[in-house]
Amino acid sequence: MKLAYLLIWGCMIIFGMSAVWALVWAIRRGEMSDFQAGAESIFDHDEPVGKPTDTFPGRHS
Amino acid sequence: MSTLVLSPGPAPSLEDDVITRIQIDRSCRQTVLGYYASAVFWLLFGTAAALISSIKLHHPEFLGSWEWVTFGRIRSVHLNTVVYGWSSMVGIGSLLWLQARLCKVRLPHRIVLPSTVMIWNFAVIWGVYELLAGNSTGVEWLEFPTRVLTFFGYVLLVLFWTSLTMFSRRRVRHTYVSQWYLFGSVVWFPILYVAAVLLPATGLVSGAAWATTNWWYAHNVLGLYITPMGLAAAYYLIPKVTGQPIHSYHLSLLGFWANALFYSWIGTHHLVGGPLPAWIITVGIVGSIMMFVPVITVAINHHMTMVGRFHLLRTSPTLRFTVFGAMCYTAVSFQGSFEALRSVSQVAHFTHYTVAHAHLGMYAFYTMIMFGAMYYVIPRLTRNEWSSPRLIKVHFWTCALGIGLYFVALSWAGWYQGLMMNDPGVPFMKVVEYTKPYLVARSLAGTMMTTGHVAFAILIFRILHSSSVPLVGPTLFTTMRGEMR
Repeated sequence: MKLAYLLIWGCMIIFGMSAVWALVWAIRRGEMSDFQAGAESIFDHDEPVGKPTDTFPGRHS
Repeated sequence: MSTLVLSPGPAPSLEDDVITRIQIDRSCRQTVLGYYASAVFWLLFGTAAALISSIKLHHPEFLGSWEWVTFGRIRSVHLNTVVYGWSSMVGIGSLLWLQARLCKVRLPHRIVLPSTVMIWNFAVIWGVYELLAGNSTGVEWLEFPTRVLTFFGYVLLVLFWTSLTMFSRRRVRHTYVSQWYLFGSVVWFPILYVAAVLLPATGLVSGAAWATTNWWYAHNVLGLYITPMGLAAAYYLIPKVTGQPIHSYHLSLLGFWANALFYSWIGTHHLVGGPLPAWIITVGIVGSIMMFVPVITVAINHHMTMVGRFHLLRTSPTLRFTVFGAMCYTAVSFQGSFEALRSVSQVAHFTHYTVAHAHLGMYAFYTMIMFGAMYYVIPRLTRNEWSSPRLIKVHFWTCALGIGLYFVALSWAGWYQGLMMNDPGVPFMKVVEYTKPYLVARSLAGTMMTTGHVAFAILIFRILHSSSVPLVGPTLFTTMRGEMR
């Protein structure tokens, strides 16, 4: 029983610590300094903001 | 502060963007399509097992003389094929494609990765055989024998390594929110998996401790593996299809870290009322209530991104499935938080209510988002168009209405089943008789969803077949079309 709890709490601490480590890493890298750029990072010149990219077949404009 | 990684040279032109994207998609083709095609096979297999299990609950004599499909075996086959066959394989396919696109690098390890498709399939086939032969471990969600599970462990490590390789080579400045979720899946799940498989295998735990490990694992599969893959796809697809950046990027990051910090606490709410120290269960309940934070952030973001663009649901198959799934994520998460409370669990536990909740999560949320992802990704990999808008609509409506009927029927039946079972004056057979019409409704709902899955399988077969309709128009490649075919 003790071993199971040790393992479970141990893993939970690892999960939590990994999340905190990633958060610190992200802040230090400046990931949190420009949210707008982060949100727009999936768009490019060919698929810019404002352009829908999926339609039913046969309904292309 | 270390320097940010930037794309080398001058800013890329429109042409560069198109070429890069097509090269990335092409690099994913073999592996991702391998995972997707296998996933659809397991979806059909798992659905058949589900229907047989469902019919047996109201007509126990159905296939009753064949020991290989007795309820105890076929129900486990359903669970394991939809979790490790369908959900895992479609999730891994989407994960690899998303990570390649978001890192803007071609998929690495293109000899090892296709082999993992075969290894994963082999493990599921072997596991299903063992279950049908009656060799289940009896531990829910880990019914496959341990020697089968080691194959999954190997593939998970390859995926971890592949994700790290792509991330270290990335050509983008920002780590998009979907990537955080994908890293959650590939980093946390192997740790969780190895811990949950190894501990019982050593024989050092038994009884209540085993049950604790079991449910801690089973719920974390959803929260640290399945949910992150589903949300990663939704966070990419909804903005990408609507052409609108997500409403609040900082809320999305808050949601990710709240999920990361709270989710691994909550598995013990499955053992409310069980023979465990009360504080262990209380920790699970507190974690479950804390989940309101990430869930509300996701709900606000997905809804506000869609505001003013709901008309696109008429024109985009991807969006229709993905938004349905995203709405159900909010619903299932709110329901789950309340269900963890002792007062609610007192009625709902060990009833059909829990089964309805599980399907709202795994099907209405995750599976529907993954359908949406496949509608987006496959044309870009095969460069073929989906063959029939009508079949897509059949797929959507049968699945959406089917899971709706399933959820309503079993939630209603389960709640009253729980109330009656808590009343010592009600005979047990009366409770069984009460639930029967709702179980028939469940089989009807299952038949509707099966119809949708068959329609989807036909679409998949046709688009993978070389003679299908070539891709034209803006299902995406507006330029470079002729050159790259």
